[in-house]
Amino acid sequence: MSRHPAPDELLLDYAAGTLPEGPALAVALHVALDPQARRTVDRLNAVGGALIEHEIEASLDDAALERAMARLEQVAVEPRAAPATARPGFEWAPPPLIPHLRAGLGWRRILGKFDEIRLDVPGDAHRVSLLRLEPGHGLPEHNHRGYEYTVCLRGGYTDQTGSYGVGDFAVGPGGERHEPIADPGEPCIALIVVEKPIVLTGPWGRWLNPLVSRGWI
Amino acid sequence: MLSADEAADLIEVIASRQDRAAFASLFRHFAPRVKAFIMRGGTDVEAAQEVAQETLIMVWRKAASFDRSRASAATWIYTIARNKRIDLLRRAARPIDTEDWLVVYAPEGEEADKSVLAGQTYTRVKELLGGLSEDQLVVIRKAFFEDKTHTVIAEELKLPLGTVKSRIRLALGRLREALEKDE
Repeated sequence: MSRHPAPDELLLDYAAGTLPEGPALAVALHVALDPQARRTVDRLNAVGGALIEHEIEASLDDAALERAMARLEQVAVEPRAAPATARPGFEWAPPPLIPHLRAGLGWRRILGKFDEIRLDVPGDAHRVSLLRLEPGHGLPEHNHRGYEYTVCLRGGYTDQTGSYGVGDFAVGPGGERHEPIADPGEPCIALIVVEKPIVLTGPWGRWLNPLVSRGWI
Repeated sequence: MLSADEAADLIEVIASRQDRAAFASLFRHFAPRVKAFIMRGGTDVEAAQEVAQETLIMVWRKAASFDRSRASAATWIYTIARNKRIDLLRRAARPIDTEDWLVVYAPEGEEADKSVLAGQTYTRVKELLGGLSEDQLVVIRKAFFEDKTHTVIAEELKLPLGTVKSRIRLALGRLREALEKDE
């Protein structure tokens, strides 16, 4: 049971396929870890199915079926696929994350405080990262110029808005300052999707912001 | 017309013996509907036809992964068509994982009576759509058919974003409430 579910509107956008790739990945991971969100999305998919079923048929040219039948010659019916397995070191990764973990990706230490893996999302301006915080350590206080989506994948963290465990989802608009700190126990790993570069507000912010905005850290 | 059970049978026959006649029946039923559905989002005729064609080819390829206890045929085909449309929009990028892991791989044993549930959910959703108020239906339709974000829907309906969000929430709340009665 998630204490911090994603808002229903976001689940609808996900089921309808309208989210950009970064936020869609964040929602997919939340849905993978939260049975209740999964039930909601199942239902929304059923709404999509019902809408298709009710759709008035568009005319399809007669040759379309013939062309499709001809193509079947080259297309095999595949055996039921086994779920993908994560590569060593990433056993905690829920299924939707696995295709993004290409070989060679590794944690990179940032500011001597936390680790980051930047994920590729071609065609999406969002910045998508996995962050890893040691227990009791935090991110520098920051606020956002755009929306930020966070889903906790391992461990837990606490900030001014509450405590977040595995599967919990947070979405925040710009202008909110927060300072997440990893809970005691195991390191906290979260996926963070940021619309625009974050703005550091602590004493070092002035010096670091130019680096952040250039995407160096 | 094709009932939900008949459609599921056809997919299973493709999986078990690569039955081309079953494919043709599914194609005749679903391809024109998928095409119409995709065109509502403003996609042109040729592209919509391509999405419909690719969707049905994918139904053939992945027939063995279809699980009627998890989703109705129409729901499964909807998720494939949606992902194909996203692929079309992101033409340059790598194709997304078209096997919707949610429908295909969601953890086993989560809902004991899934088999009853999948069919029921689909039938109930169909009924419920008819029972929503016009206000609620408009936002849901726009979100699904026209591929709009909430901000764009709000602009088009000349409504505050908060109103659009609360209508969606109400509509989803009604769907959920009615569906949970069955569980």
